[in-house]
Amino acid sequence: MIIAEQKPLDEIMGLLGSDERVLVVGCGTCVTVCFAGGAREAAIVAASVRMTSKLNSVPREVTDVTVQRQCEWEYLDEIKEQISDADIILSLGCGIGVQAIAERFPDKWVVPGLNTTFLGMPTEQGVWIERCAACGDCVLGITGGICPIARCSKSLLNGPCGGSEDGHCEINPDIDCAWQLIYDRLSRLGRLDALLELQPPKNWSTSRDGGPRKITRDDLRLAAEEE
Amino acid sequence: MTGNDEFAFEPTIVAFCCHHCAYAAADLAGSLRLNYPESLRIIGLPCTGKVDVVHILKALEDGADGVMVAG
Repeated sequence: MIIAEQKPLDEIMGLLGSDERVLVVGCGTCVTVCFAGGAREAAIVAASVRMTSKLNSVPREVTDVTVQRQCEWEYLDEIKEQISDADIILSLGCGIGVQAIAERFPDKWVVPGLNTTFLGMPTEQGVWIERCAACGDCVLGITGGICPIARCSKSLLNGPCGGSEDGHCEINPDIDCAWQLIYDRLSRLGRLDALLELQPPKNWSTSRDGGPRKITRDDLRLAAEEE
Repeated sequence: MTGNDEFAFEPTIVAFCCHHCAYAAADLAGSLRLNYPESLRIIGLPCTGKVDVVHILKALEDGADGVMVAG
């Protein structure tokens, strides 16, 4: 899932400026399950903004609403009247949600209440770890299901490097060495021979190096039938 | 209340009380004719595990000076 965390309240208040009618928009998908921008968090942020504004004598009307997914037009269309009534939208969606609102409602000013941080998963309650870098050319099939792109600090394809110390990364002892994990797993599964094959330089054009990415599926497009 | 202005402020406290213990205790206090300040507003809940940050913020926003969770 997409992992995000809330911006500090001071930063949010700065982004809201002097706009009076604020609509806090939560998202019911990824940021709900990582406790950053769901209905509960939207209510808490709205209350915090109301109280801060009151303490600072800033006139403000703050309401909150949460949609199932901010990154799809049809869910945003359900709240178009509330958006129309607001001076500013505080999105508690990921960066995609913020942009979807900006694109769907071109005349509205929208600001982010979250920092979108990475693609990952919870490893225990309250702890989330990056697992995927969305490189566009998955190598998990040759690394035993452990991603060296997202989990090795250098994104090495032939690791580990000399900075691997007792299974930890030299940049931070809290970070496991991904290549140690890969070695240990392949060893346990009796598949260490997979490491004998050197991996050539990766084609990064499928990742961010190729610019913004796009997938088109003509079998799914409605417009394709008309063309 | 002392009558002294310095101490005239009596905070409004919203108390979220568990039906099975703290709320029952408040009920018993009433039966025993024990007094507690009028500014204490008790809200009974099936369990204080239900209390969420949102409820506490809502109480504070609506004028409570303090919130007590008793369970």
